[in-house]
Amino acid sequence: MSAAMSHGSSAEPDLTPILDLVFQLITFFMLVINFKAAALDTSLRLPVIGSARPIDSKGVDDVLVLNVNKEGSLNVYGDRKSDIKRYIANEATASRMLAKRKGKTITNDDDLPTTVVIRADRGVSFNLLNKVLTECQKYGFRKFTFKAQNLEK
Amino acid sequence: MQRRKRKKRSSDNVELNLAAMLDMAFQLLAFFILTFKPSPIEGDVNMRLPPPQPVVGAQSGLTVGSSDSADPLQALDSLVVTILGTPTGAIEAMAIGENQVPTLAVLESRIHQLLKDPGGGFQQVLLQVGPTLHYGELMKVVDICNRAKLPDNSNLSKLSFVELPTQ
Repeated sequence: MSAAMSHGSSAEPDLTPILDLVFQLITFFMLVINFKAAALDTSLRLPVIGSARPIDSKGVDDVLVLNVNKEGSLNVYGDRKSDIKRYIANEATASRMLAKRKGKTITNDDDLPTTVVIRADRGVSFNLLNKVLTECQKYGFRKFTFKAQNLEK
Repeated sequence: MQRRKRKKRSSDNVELNLAAMLDMAFQLLAFFILTFKPSPIEGDVNMRLPPPQPVVGAQSGLTVGSSDSADPLQALDSLVVTILGTPTGAIEAMAIGENQVPTLAVLESRIHQLLKDPGGGFQQVLLQVGPTLHYGELMKVVDICNRAKLPDNSNLSKLSFVELPTQ
């Protein structure tokens, strides 16, 4: 009787299994977390193209993600860029500096190694999108990737 | 003697307090759950977009483009495709060179046929686009160009865009 009472007064649940489970969950979320998703504006309605397939660049290429909404304004990491020209010029300078750090010399006439990823709303007019494209071309960006869905949501 | 016994007991029953560790683990878990945002699966259309060059029309002999460079050697043999948009952004009319094309299916077959032809000598496609055309509609044509093959069986990767003046 006394033994049963003493056992009840000092009840300590074994926390080891629950800790194991929580650590497994943490491991799962750590593995699937993707910080690149922060660069994507998920409110955009991308164009639908059947042949568009995800291409894995294996993280080798340096990329510049540009979200262009229906009004033609540029959105980068949730921040709306009012001066598109200056932003792209700064990114071009950054790309040159990065290439220099990697040991490549890029003159003003050379093409930049950075790939511009265009994530534009399907409803944006061409004249608005073309402003972004021509600015990129003006500063030496040549490699472009257009993002699209391969199925309508 | 009693002291010795106590020491022995305490070393035998070492029990870690897991509650604090569990609290920390739960906090980490809560952080990961709250910040978890699965990225959408998106397809890529990779293109090399050189700035518009003066066009040497391999067949039509037309010169189109907005480059300052007047050096004809720098020009590429370009297949000129024109797409006009309605005020609502849909495709109004399409043409290859000066020949009107009624549908996207016809445009696809003609572009594929022209680019595959070794006698054509086309190296890139120049898209002349109406300013009101929506990006979603334009991408249908870009997709057609992206899937086209050149005579050496490689995919076409060079595209140029020229914005047409407002009508």
